Amino acid sequence: MNYLRELPKFEYLAPQSIPEVCEMLAAHEGEAKLMAGGTDLIIMMRRREVVPHYLIGLKSVPELNFIREEKDGGLTIGAMATSWEIQSSSLVRQRYDFLAKTAADIGSIENLHVSTIGGNLCDGFPCVDFPAPLLTLDAKVKLVSQRGERIVPLDGFYLGYQKTAVEPDELLTEIQILPHNHRYGGAYIKFHDRHAIDITTTGAGAFITLDSDGQTARDVKIALTTSAPVPLRVKGAEAALCGRKVTEEATEEAGRIASEEASPRTSWRSTAEFRTKLVQVLVRRALRQAWRKVTTSSSSGAAPDLWLMHPLDPRIGENR
Amino acid sequence: MKQRVPISLTVNGEIHELFIPPWQLLLDTLRDELGLTGAKRCCIEGQCGACTVLIDGKPINSCLYLTIEAQNQEIVTAEGLVEDGKPHPIQKAFVERGAVQCGFCTPGLVVATKALLDQNPNPTEDEIRIALSGHLCRCGAYVQITEAVMAAARETAQKEVGV
Repeated sequence: MNYLRELPKFEYLAPQSIPEVCEMLAAHEGEAKLMAGGTDLIIMMRRREVVPHYLIGLKSVPELNFIREEKDGGLTIGAMATSWEIQSSSLVRQRYDFLAKTAADIGSIENLHVSTIGGNLCDGFPCVDFPAPLLTLDAKVKLVSQRGERIVPLDGFYLGYQKTAVEPDELLTEIQILPHNHRYGGAYIKFHDRHAIDITTTGAGAFITLDSDGQTARDVKIALTTSAPVPLRVKGAEAALCGRKVTEEATEEAGRIASEEASPRTSWRSTAEFRTKLVQVLVRRALRQAWRKVTTSSSSGAAPDLWLMHPLDPRIGENR
Repeated sequence: MKQRVPISLTVNGEIHELFIPPWQLLLDTLRDELGLTGAKRCCIEGQCGACTVLIDGKPINSCLYLTIEAQNQEIVTAEGLVEDGKPHPIQKAFVERGAVQCGFCTPGLVVATKALLDQNPNPTEDEIRIALSGHLCRCGAYVQITEAVMAAARETAQKEVGV
């Protein structure tokens, strides 16, 4: 592997606003690369896998960094919100504890302070963690260019390995999550070797909304990490659970169907066979955890009051 | 393409006016331009934590951060913790508890500990392990490191109540 200490040469651009970013993207189409946190991009540039002529730094655009509640009760996260800001946001923790936990588990503390949700989504790799929980939440992303703006559902955003719906002149500005009117609970569980800093071998997210009868699942969403060329919704497994009680047998069945829908590859990290088995187990665990939250908590399942949530933290409970 | 650009960098309370290549990484600027060799060049891909410095009090890997993006922020390296020529209580605790063996991971750990104790002055053992999980110690002194952080936390707490 060609791995050099120094980065390739580029011209650095520091826009101050979203229109300025769009202007730069349009002016240098095909020659410019956006940099969010850069924790992955810098490594790819060192390997000369990415050699941009212009590097557009987004850290200088304050309007991309926010986490806010909308008037209709929805949640919007700016593309440049860091993993740290998401994991420590009381709004995210109260609403979607599993999304906060996903953020906390992205990497080391040093990484959390720099890596961003927008960068994570636009990477396009199937092994990054934010897409699966966001897919279960039916999240949408806003893409902005000089041509205008459009809202794209995350389900459909990933077109292939490292291929996203983002056009060369577009900027992902925010992630939108619509309010949920029924009781709900979610979970995201991943398998990886080194807990502090590691790429996810396989991960599974589940999100369940409870029917007004308080007994059965009104809606179930399940999504997988590193189980196909793209972050994957497993709709067969979801359909098998809708309108049912999420019993042990039901989670087992969903896990089996999900593992049939997955098409993981063999890499040095793991064989495809092992990943397929992992899907079965992780889907079951994620469903079990989500179901427990939805049936025991009064509202959404508020996150424990920790200064930090982390896989090593014994107070997090069942994770592995 | 500009080979060098003027920047202003605040490191350990001092402002430096520099003329650097825009693609230069903060780690290289600190070590090669400013001679601050506390932050170590090790894995250079954010795996080991040896290059950790603080930016506005937050620990980051300086091997994955462009210098040009670190302007207008307060950068603190292990050298910056020294007060009046005396080691910081964290540095002292590391030495006294045997947490410094070969010393290569120490500067990164010391600043990460500073960030931890500033946010959480009385951490549990688990919280310490979580906060420092991005740091590898090739001598395997993890037990001593955890003890040193607890000792430093006690020391700082005593200082604050004036014991």
